Amino acid sequence: MIYLDYSATTPMSLDVLDSYDKASREFIGNPNSLHSLGVKSKELISSATKQISELLGVSESEIVYTSGATESNNMALLGSAMAHRKRGNHIVVSKLEHPSIYAICDYLKELGFEISYVENDQDGLVDFEDLRSKIRPETILVSICAVNSELGIREPLKMIRQIIKKENPETIFHSDMTQALGKIPVNVKDVDLASFSIHKVYGPKGIGLLYKSNLVRISPLIQGSSKESSLRPGTPPVPLIAASAKAIRLGIQDLDRKETFIKKLNEKIVEELQDLEGITINSTKYSIPHILNISLENIKPETFIHAMEEYEIFLGTNTACASGDVSSTIMAVYKDEERAKSTIRISLSYLTTTEEINRFLNCFHIVYKKLNALVV
Amino acid sequence: MEKLIIIKYGELTTKKENINLFINTLKQNIKEKLKNENVDIRFDKGRMFIRVLNDNFDVIIEKLKEVFGIHEIVIGYELKSLDLEEIKKELLTLLKNKEFKTFKVETKRSNKKIPHISTEISREVGGFILKNKENTKVDVHNPELMIHLELRNTESYIYFERVEGLGGYPVSTLGKGVLMLSGGIDSPVAGYMAIKRGVKLEALYFESPPHTSIEAKNKVMELAKVLSKYNNEIKVHVIHFTEIQEAIYKNIPHEYLITIMRRMMYRIAEIIANRCNAKILVNGESIGQVASQTLTSMKAINEVVSIPVIRPLACFDKLEIINIAQKINTYETSILPFEDCCTIFVPKHPVINPDSRVCEEYEKLIPYKDLIYNAIKNHEVIKIKDEKQQNFEDIL
Repeated sequence: MIYLDYSATTPMSLDVLDSYDKASREFIGNPNSLHSLGVKSKELISSATKQISELLGVSESEIVYTSGATESNNMALLGSAMAHRKRGNHIVVSKLEHPSIYAICDYLKELGFEISYVENDQDGLVDFEDLRSKIRPETILVSICAVNSELGIREPLKMIRQIIKKENPETIFHSDMTQALGKIPVNVKDVDLASFSIHKVYGPKGIGLLYKSNLVRISPLIQGSSKESSLRPGTPPVPLIAASAKAIRLGIQDLDRKETFIKKLNEKIVEELQDLEGITINSTKYSIPHILNISLENIKPETFIHAMEEYEIFLGTNTACASGDVSSTIMAVYKDEERAKSTIRISLSYLTTTEEINRFLNCFHIVYKKLNALVV
Repeated sequence: MEKLIIIKYGELTTKKENINLFINTLKQNIKEKLKNENVDIRFDKGRMFIRVLNDNFDVIIEKLKEVFGIHEIVIGYELKSLDLEEIKKELLTLLKNKEFKTFKVETKRSNKKIPHISTEISREVGGFILKNKENTKVDVHNPELMIHLELRNTESYIYFERVEGLGGYPVSTLGKGVLMLSGGIDSPVAGYMAIKRGVKLEALYFESPPHTSIEAKNKVMELAKVLSKYNNEIKVHVIHFTEIQEAIYKNIPHEYLITIMRRMMYRIAEIIANRCNAKILVNGESIGQVASQTLTSMKAINEVVSIPVIRPLACFDKLEIINIAQKINTYETSILPFEDCCTIFVPKHPVINPDSRVCEEYEKLIPYKDLIYNAIKNHEVIKIKDEKQQNFEDIL
């Protein structure tokens, strides 16, 4: 099997699985229980949280555990909107967000909020002038992802923050950092709120994080605790939290070395595919090497993916959460519907080997030739 | 030219007879603090030199900021020569990446055989910089860049920035004390201040399960862990106080509960101190803060022991204490809401002016000597080190 869909999800690392296993067996108490088993579980959680907060360079009270990035995004957007609706009803997002952000925005529109979509340039970078002009006194939140999930475009969050805060210091800045963690260094201090998903960094599915700066206030989405401090009431999932701490620790090790290696693989694929007729490379100069996006002129992406699957090679179309649709990211960057309908996403990992890429390329040529022959 | 850390000693340079003890202890303490780092430590009567073999300067400086007895921490460059021309040449290389408009050169010369006096050297080197760095000026009052030169026996040192150390005396140069550590805000601060004056502490904690919880005890251990940063490590004596406290509660008029409880705690503390060869008790009492800390109360309580009781916070306001607690990072832990021995069984109207003769009469109502004997016989000792919680290392 050759897995090249690491941006959709990653296989769980055995070390992380080991932590999950140990925590499940040895820490059976409910962390909210008063007895010593509960206290022991609580201690494990606080050690894990401490480790995560140190790795991210934030304070322990700024970490909220969620079920995943989609929930983190909900908590960030809805939570900010609810907490600050008296101050304003305007929210700004980029055109390169994960589908979950747009779904939340559609819901917020129904609730009476106004959503603006900020333009980007032809390389996918947020248009600073347009962003500046869209921020108003009643803008309560701006959400711009750190790394786009389809093209891998990396946005300059520090500069974006400066623009936002200059126009309106009260505007909260949220970033979906799901595709950034474990791939590039993240600086959560650039933003006020940040979403993360652990299964993208070789951890278990079912857990994510929201970084929430102590300087901003958001409302909880679910009720269940009398404690004012609790944004996410409920029994904390001890094994998932322990595994998250381990996954993040391992995930952000040696980022440079991993990136250099992945870049070589990426370049090899681009070199071989770019000259094929009917293939366009969609990734831009701001794309991280872990995500390579291409369009096939004459072949439906589903067909191509299933054909590759026969060789046990697994690829993605556009982001896993929007498979089958027109890619809004490609539309935003290239304004070309044909191109946006036919994207394939090849996402790479430090686990990918040169042999895998060689075999992938061989099979790619075979499948491509075969399917192209069927085109009328 | 070699980059290294130079330590300047604190107040201890004024000690004449004991100076070797002070410096040796400081070296031991630094060695212990840096035991996981790859360093080489050497010293003379005026300075300590730490060669960092793994280029981990930032981490090491952060750790040195937790060692008492250090006046200043300096990142310097060592030159195995006293030749002025060579010093100038090396200095110029170091200045290559530095942006500054004004500067001042200050020279110290502990080797008096060098033909030039300090001011001459400063002037000469200053003139050399003016000639070789464009657009710079000398400003002796408020320079952007201070250039320090130190000429010692056979080496010279160049350095720019200095980091303030904690001051105080190297821990354990003044002997040992027993700190009465509760979970509150005051006692950890009192402990910190005693350590600052060179006292090596062991801590004493009274627990009353099931009235007090494991969480309360963990909180105290967390506080002890903060103190252990400065104390190398810290032993915490845990006294099981339930029987004594229940006996007091059942048999003694309630307005005297606190006074008598404190007298019992003092008695136990003195015995523990004698056993571990400590010369003093230390606690966080502050005059007038609560009923047991009025002057009359202090007298009635203090009377039961003969060991000196040091109260570093006696004359501090609560806000001053909180400021220090925040600075040393104990505050957030101290305010966690778990009941400790002093907050359970609190009478509605504690006596403000207790009489020690009354105390003695009341104490006859309980077999306190036996109870104390048992409590001490069964007490638990926990060693706390400032290390990551090891139990979880295999999981996280």
